[in-house]
Amino acid sequence: MDINVTKPIDRGKWMTMLGIPAGGGADLEEQFARAEALIRTGASPRGIYRVMDVSDIRLEGFSIQKHLEGCMQAAVMAVTLGAGIDGLLRREQVRDMASAVVIDCGASLYIEEACDIFAEVIRTETGLFTTSRFSPGYGDYPLYCQEDVLRYVDGQRKIGINITDDYLMVPRKSVTAIVGLADHPVAGRLATCGECVLKDKCTLRKEGKYCGD
Amino acid sequence: MAIDFGEKIYILDGGMGTMLQEAGMSPDESSAEFGVRNPHILTEIHNKYVDAGSDIIYASTFSINGRRLDKLNMSLQEAVNIVLDAAAAAKERAMKLYGREVKVALDIGPVGQLLEPMGTLPFEEALEIFAELVRAGRDKADIIAIETMTDLYEVKAAVLAAKENSDLPVMVSMSFEANGRTFTGTSLEAMALTLEGLGVDAMGINCSLGPDEIFPMIMKLKTLTSVPVFAKPNAGLPDPSTGAYAMDAEDFAKKMSGFFREGVGILGGCCGTTPEFIEGISKEAGLYETSPQECDRTLSLCSGSNVVKVDHVTVIGERINPTGKKRLKQALIDEDYDYILSQAMEQIDAGAEILDVNVGVPKLDDVKMLPRVVKKLQSITDLPLQIDSGNPEAIEAALRVYNGKAIVNSVNGEEAVMDRILPSVKKYGAAVVGLTLDEKGIPDTAEERFAIAERILTKCLEYGIPRENVIIDCLTLTVSAQQKEVVETLKALRMVKDRLGLKTCLGVSNISFGLPARAIINRTFLTMAMECGLDLPIINPNNEDMMASIAAFHVLHNIDRNSVDFIEKYGNVDVISSISSKKENNSTDSTKNNGNHDVFYSIEKGMGSETVSLVKALLETEDEMTVVNKYLIPALDRVGQGFEKGTIFLPQMLQAAQAAQAGFDIIKERLANKDQKQVSQGPIIIATVKGDIHDIGKNIVKVIMENYGFEMIDLGKDVSPELIVETVLARDARMVGLSALMTTTLKSMEETIVKVKEAKPDCRIFVGGAVLTADYAEKIGADYYCKDALKSVEAAQEVFNEQI
Repeated sequence: MDINVTKPIDRGKWMTMLGIPAGGGADLEEQFARAEALIRTGASPRGIYRVMDVSDIRLEGFSIQKHLEGCMQAAVMAVTLGAGIDGLLRREQVRDMASAVVIDCGASLYIEEACDIFAEVIRTETGLFTTSRFSPGYGDYPLYCQEDVLRYVDGQRKIGINITDDYLMVPRKSVTAIVGLADHPVAGRLATCGECVLKDKCTLRKEGKYCGD
Repeated sequence: MAIDFGEKIYILDGGMGTMLQEAGMSPDESSAEFGVRNPHILTEIHNKYVDAGSDIIYASTFSINGRRLDKLNMSLQEAVNIVLDAAAAAKERAMKLYGREVKVALDIGPVGQLLEPMGTLPFEEALEIFAELVRAGRDKADIIAIETMTDLYEVKAAVLAAKENSDLPVMVSMSFEANGRTFTGTSLEAMALTLEGLGVDAMGINCSLGPDEIFPMIMKLKTLTSVPVFAKPNAGLPDPSTGAYAMDAEDFAKKMSGFFREGVGILGGCCGTTPEFIEGISKEAGLYETSPQECDRTLSLCSGSNVVKVDHVTVIGERINPTGKKRLKQALIDEDYDYILSQAMEQIDAGAEILDVNVGVPKLDDVKMLPRVVKKLQSITDLPLQIDSGNPEAIEAALRVYNGKAIVNSVNGEEAVMDRILPSVKKYGAAVVGLTLDEKGIPDTAEERFAIAERILTKCLEYGIPRENVIIDCLTLTVSAQQKEVVETLKALRMVKDRLGLKTCLGVSNISFGLPARAIINRTFLTMAMECGLDLPIINPNNEDMMASIAAFHVLHNIDRNSVDFIEKYGNVDVISSISSKKENNSTDSTKNNGNHDVFYSIEKGMGSETVSLVKALLETEDEMTVVNKYLIPALDRVGQGFEKGTIFLPQMLQAAQAAQAGFDIIKERLANKDQKQVSQGPIIIATVKGDIHDIGKNIVKVIMENYGFEMIDLGKDVSPELIVETVLARDARMVGLSALMTTTLKSMEETIVKVKEAKPDCRIFVGGAVLTADYAEKIGADYYCKDALKSVEAAQEVFNEQI
C-alpha cells in the first residue's frame, strides 16, 4: 500500500544527523525546505506486510528471539521510498554535494516516519498489541536474513525492493523489520551491547550512549 | 520463427505460484527449488491450464538463472531441462488428447538484482545471465516470454539475449503500478518505443494489478505501438494482511471479455488466477476476433523513464562535444566524469530535451569511451541521448548499453557509410540523422541535397527502419565563407519537410563563424530555419537568447497554447537589450569584481558565481598557481579549521568546497587553453569496497581532496579488489582510499588491502567509514584511519610531501 507521510521532516533530528549541534544551523532552513520538497516529489513510500506464526519465520540469533518472547505471531514488514530517491541522490551528487548530503539524511528520517506510520497501520489492522520494529542486521540478527524477510512478503514484486549479493537493499531507502504481535501488551526488547555485532565499533557506545535511548 | 499474433486469438495460462503453494510449496522454498524437485506437479498444473484452453503455457523457469543455482544443486542446463520437459509433457498430451498445438514458453523473470545505475549488476552481466538461460532452453521451447519486469534496461538485456541466441518469437510483459509506471519509473510510452524498436513479437502488462486497473493501460498501449499487445492481470488486488486475491473466476472472465471486445487477442492471468479463471477466458474468446492496432507514428525518443515526442521544436544540447573545447577534451582523456556530467547537468537545467554525446578526441578509444559516457549520463539524467560518432563500432557499442530509444548522429548519402551504420540503427531501434552530403561533398543546391535526403530515406526503409525514425540534416554552412549558399540550406530544409514529411535537424551555431556578435546571427538563422520546418536544433541551451526565440516561436505557432510555458518562463523577467559595446562590458565586469567581499569570504559562504568572478579578477594580476596557493587553498584551510572547531558544519563545508571548485575550474580552463597541464598531486584511487553500495561518504572525501589539488580516480561503489589492484598498477598510484559502511563488508576491505599491498607494497592505504575504528584499521593493515574528509587530506599531504 501507499504510505502518506504528511508530517514535516523533524529539523532537530535532521541537524543531529548532519552533525550540527543545537542552534548551529540557523541559516540552513532554506536548504532544508528545498531538500524536503525534492524528497517529497522523489519519494513514493510504499509498504507491505504479512502476518505469520513466529514458528514459520526463520529466526537466527538470540536478540530477535528475545524480542519476540511472548508473541505467537509477528508481522513481517517492508517499506521503501522507491527508486526515485536513489536517482535524486545520484543527480544531486553531481549538481551539489552539500544538498545531496542534506537530502540523504532527510530521506532517512522520512522513511523512519513512513515506517512509524506503517507500523501503526499494522497495529490497527491486526487489532493486536505490537512490539517495536526489529530489523535484520540489528543486534545479532544476521543481515543475511534480509533475504528471507523479503521473500516472505514478496518484496520484490509487491513494492520493488531488490537485494544485492551482500544483502543490501535497493532502492537504498528501504527498511525491513519484524514486529511481534500478541493479544496482551508486549514490550519487545532491543539488543544489548553485549550481543550486538557492532559492539567493538559502535561510536555511540564509545560515547557511553545506547541506541535504545 | 514467426508467430501469428495479431491474426488469431491466443489464450495464455494463469498463475503458477498460486498453484505451487496449493501443491505444498513452503514459504522458505523458491518456485525453482520446488519445481525441479517436483516436475510431475508442474506437468499436472500445465495439464490443467491446457484443459482450460491455454494455447501458450509458461514453463516454470521464471526464477531460474545462472545466479540462483546455489540451492538447486544442479547445473543450469539440468534445471532448465527438467522444467521444460515438464511443460513439454503437457504439450504432447494436448496434441494426443485434443489434437491441439500448444506452445511452450521459456519464461524469463527478473535476475533478482537491480542493474546499474540503480543496483550493482552491470548491463553486460545481466545480458550474459539471460543469454545462458536462452541457450539452455531454446531447443525445448517454442517462444520466449519475458515477464514481470519493472526495469526497461533489464528487459532490453533479456530481449537482446533472446534475439542473439535464438530464432524464437519473443513476448514481453512488464508490471505497472496504479500510477502508470513501473517501480523503476518506466512508462507505457517508453516501453512501447523501446520494445517496438527491438523488434519483439508482442508486448503487454502482467501482475501487480487486476483487470480493472490494467484495462485502461492496455487501451493506451494499443495507441502507442503496432506490435500486438497482451495482458495477464492478477485476480484483482490482494487483501493487504492475508494476501488473498479479491476476484472470482466468473468476475475475472467478465472483465477480460472487455479486452477481447477492444480487439486485444492475447490474454491470460497472473497471481491468484487458476485454471478455472483461464477456462472462463477461453469461453469468452470464441465470441471475438483480434483487430489491428492504429497508432500515432510521430517521432518520439526516450530514456528508460522519459519520452520526448518531437511535435514541437525540440532542443538537442550540443555541449558534450570536445571539438574546440580543450577542457572537455582533457576531461575525456583523464576520464574525469564529474566534469562531463556537470556539462550535462547545466544543459538539463537550461532546458535541453535531448543531449548530444560526442567523445571524438584523437587517439581516444571511442569504442570503449562512448558507451561508458552513455552509461554515466543515464545514471544522472532521464533525457534521451543522441549518439554522435562516425565510427560504426562506437555507435553499436553505445546503442547496445543505451536504455531507451536514442538518435544516431549520423549517416550520409554515401552507400558504404549507410551499410556500416544502418544495421545497428535497425537492430537497436534507434532514430538516425542523415546528412545531405556524400562522397562528392556537400552539394551547392537545395535540389541536390534533397536528392541525397531521398536516397537516405530509401536506404533506411530498405533496412526496415520506419520512416518516422529518419531525421535529415541539410547542413549549416558558414555565412562568412559561403554566403549565397545559406539560403540553399533553408530551401532544402523546406523541401525535405514538405515533400518527404521527415523530421529535420541542424547544428545552428556554425553559421556565424568569423563574424562579430555571433549571437545575433545565430538567433536570426535559428528563427528562419524554424519557419522553414526545423524540428531539432542542435544548440547550446545555456544560450538564453536562442532558447527564448524557440519559446517565442512556440507561442507564435500556437504550439504553446495560451502561452502557458512562455509566461511561466518569462513572466517575471526584464528583457534588457543584449547588444552593448565591448567597452561597457568590461566596465560592468570590473564593478562586479570590486564587490565588498574577498575570495575568502565568498568561499566560506559557499558563493560559487561570486568566487568565479573574484578568481577572474585575481587572474588579471596574478598567475594561476599563485591564485591557487595564496587564495584558494588558504581559504579552504580556513573552512577546514572552522569545521574542526565546530563552527562550520558538513553542509557548509561542502558548499565552500563547491565554491572553491568553481574557482579551480576557471584555473583549469585557463591552463587547458594554454595547453598546460594542471599541477596536481596524485593520482589517488578511491572506492567503496566490494559488497558495499554506500558511496556518499566516499564522494564527500573525493570532492574535498580534489579541492586540495589531488587527482582522484573514483572507481565507484561495490568495487572488486582485482579492479583496484589493476588500477593501482596501471596508474602507478601511491595512495588508495577505501570506504566501507557495513560490518559485513569490512572483510572485503581487508582482502583489498592485502591484495594491494601484495601488488605494490609501497602503496599507502587510507580507510574510512562508520563501522571502522583506528584500532581496527590498523589491524587490517591500513596505513591511515581517516574519520573524515579533512583527515584524508592530511594523510595524503603527509604521503605526498614525504615522497617529494
